Amino acid sequence: MTKEGVQGATEEQQAQSKKALKKQQKEAEKAARKAEKQAMVASEQQGADEDDFAKDRYGVAAMVQSQQKLDRVLVRVQDLSPEKADQLIWLRARIHTSRAKGKQCFLVLRQQQFNVQALVAVGDRASKQMVKFAANITKESIVDVEAVVRKVEQKIESCSQQDVELHIERIFVISQAEARLPLQLEDAVRPDGEGEEEGRATVNQDTRLDNRVIDLRTTTSQAIFRLQSGVCQLFRDTLTSKGFVEIQTPKIISAASEGGANVFTVSYFKTSAYLAQSPQLYKQMCICADFDKVFCVGPVFRAEDSNTHRHLTEFVGLDIEMAFNYHYHEVIESITDTMVQIFKGLRDNFQTEIQAVNKQFPSEPFKFLEPTLRLEYTEGVAMLREAGVEMGDEDDLSTPNEKLLGRLVKEKYDTDFYVLDKYPLAVRPFYTMPDPNNPKYSNSYDMFMRGEEILSGAQRVHDPELLTQRAVHHQIDLEKIKSYIDSFRFGAPPHGGGGIGLERVCMLYLGLHNVRQTSMFPRDPKRLTP
Amino acid sequence: SDWLSPPSVRNMALRELASLEKYLGLRKPNKYSTQGDKKTPVLQNNAAPPLLGLVTIACHLVKEAKRPELLGDSAESRAVVQQWLEYRVTKVDNCSKEDIKIILKDLNLYLQDRVFLAGNCFTVADVLMYYGLHPLIVDLTVQEKEQFTNVSRWFDHIQHHPGVRHHLPPVAVLRNRIYTSRHH
Repeated sequence: MTKEGVQGATEEQQAQSKKALKKQQKEAEKAARKAEKQAMVASEQQGADEDDFAKDRYGVAAMVQSQQKLDRVLVRVQDLSPEKADQLIWLRARIHTSRAKGKQCFLVLRQQQFNVQALVAVGDRASKQMVKFAANITKESIVDVEAVVRKVEQKIESCSQQDVELHIERIFVISQAEARLPLQLEDAVRPDGEGEEEGRATVNQDTRLDNRVIDLRTTTSQAIFRLQSGVCQLFRDTLTSKGFVEIQTPKIISAASEGGANVFTVSYFKTSAYLAQSPQLYKQMCICADFDKVFCVGPVFRAEDSNTHRHLTEFVGLDIEMAFNYHYHEVIESITDTMVQIFKGLRDNFQTEIQAVNKQFPSEPFKFLEPTLRLEYTEGVAMLREAGVEMGDEDDLSTPNEKLLGRLVKEKYDTDFYVLDKYPLAVRPFYTMPDPNNPKYSNSYDMFMRGEEILSGAQRVHDPELLTQRAVHHQIDLEKIKSYIDSFRFGAPPHGGGGIGLERVCMLYLGLHNVRQTSMFPRDPKRLTP
Repeated sequence: SDWLSPPSVRNMALRELASLEKYLGLRKPNKYSTQGDKKTPVLQNNAAPPLLGLVTIACHLVKEAKRPELLGDSAESRAVVQQWLEYRVTKVDNCSKEDIKIILKDLNLYLQDRVFLAGNCFTVADVLMYYGLHPLIVDLTVQEKEQFTNVSRWFDHIQHHPGVRHHLPPVAVLRNRIYTSRHH
């Protein structure tokens, strides 16, 4: 070995021993830290057991089994305003989000579409342990909270109650949610496309519908179904004030009213029955029984195997039937006025809901005219031809042409709601009254919202002879509709009506794209649960 | 030869050339034949060797009609006309379904600030591109026509240009936009 070589070797040895020393030192430090930590945890636990002064101010409450009637008033989240500042209140809400930060824990408490920021901070009301407990409550759990309302200097943009926050003094879990949620509410309300840019998750429709109970908690769903309830109420109020009578009709029926192709068959003791695809027959029987003007709100069944954005197998029908004096336009005017009252009611009383939905699903405000625009079928066909569509005079409108016509009407008349009158007789059911001036057309009409059909209606044939003749023309077995035709033999007033799909009205009013969004528990050929 | 087959299956290029002749005001119609699998048009020329191909024949007809301005009135516009004639036979003819959207998108962008393909003057490029694009445009929905609004404007302009349309059915082009919002 050369001198240099020897020197190199000792240097190496020295370096090695240095490394080993360092390693030892490090391990010792590590052990010390560990011991320290353990001691801390132990002392903390001791502390938790011994000196948690706030022990009685938090915890999991006993299951509410109606043991006691408390006088406690639970304030609603939407009522939390600066007027309540510095008051000590109780409320029940869900944990929407929680974020712990040292000695503080921020919670967002949600009640339906409203939410408020709350704070648990270590102090003379809350202990360290209490803050820790609050931070560990799982999302979506329901809690009872006692808190002081405090004004805030800077608006809380992320909450519906922007001017106040809650300083929590007591917090009890009333119902604990499982830690893992099948979907996150924030993901379910994210507007289309917004998540993609930031690489965030969105929830697809099937996942939403599979977990509908959670999906229905989102602000968007809450708004949609509050608005839907509004549509029903406005429908009822308007018609009742016009002298209509609400009727209830059976949904289990013995024969299909329009031929049997799209009805569900159910076994009915020793025979079979059908689920009503419209209350048509019963509405008309009520007219023959002198009820004059009737309406009915109830389920309607369609056994069509169509998987589109606007078809359901069960939906809520809003049906109208009325006797008129001389012209079926009296019926059209009555229905369009009802629709206009609904649109006005929604516009005037449901702005919060409309805007909540718009946040996730932007759309232009719904426009309508007073009086409602009425176009004749031939005018509609002429508009389509001018736009380059080739179709026959008596052809039915295809869905794309229906939508295109809606666009053309919007451009020309600036309305999202219009009536298309005088359909070709050939494309309508047998009970439709033919047009006296042109037997190729009929006294029938459809109503459209944003270019999609929401109502189909007509003057009905109230003369048993003509009705028989029309049924024969449509090759319908007279034996099967005998009782229907017989209803008109003992004096029947001229009458007309129509049926509206509730879900479609809500969908199109809000400019949504799928009828499942406005059906609480949708039924389609592929979905029977939840 | 192609002349013997019924008019419905007759070569599109030959019908185009017949229409172009009428547009140019050539009194005596020429006789054409086709050559090869692609049915390339051929014009028998008495004095010279036969002319082969749609673009070559079209340029010849323009010269015969003494309308040289239709090939461009400057060196630059002559080059642009030749480029679009080339584009017509290489890109537009026999393009696949996916190509259609790409062609229309590019053309829409190009026509954003132009009245005609070669800028401000009407040329034979406009005529042959109109003939070539017709089968594509005729299948577009109203919404698509609005999407490719510059193409539609140019197309409508050319189909109304006196004497151009001839054998082709008119295509409806709306003057107003009806799909203004992002939805539906």
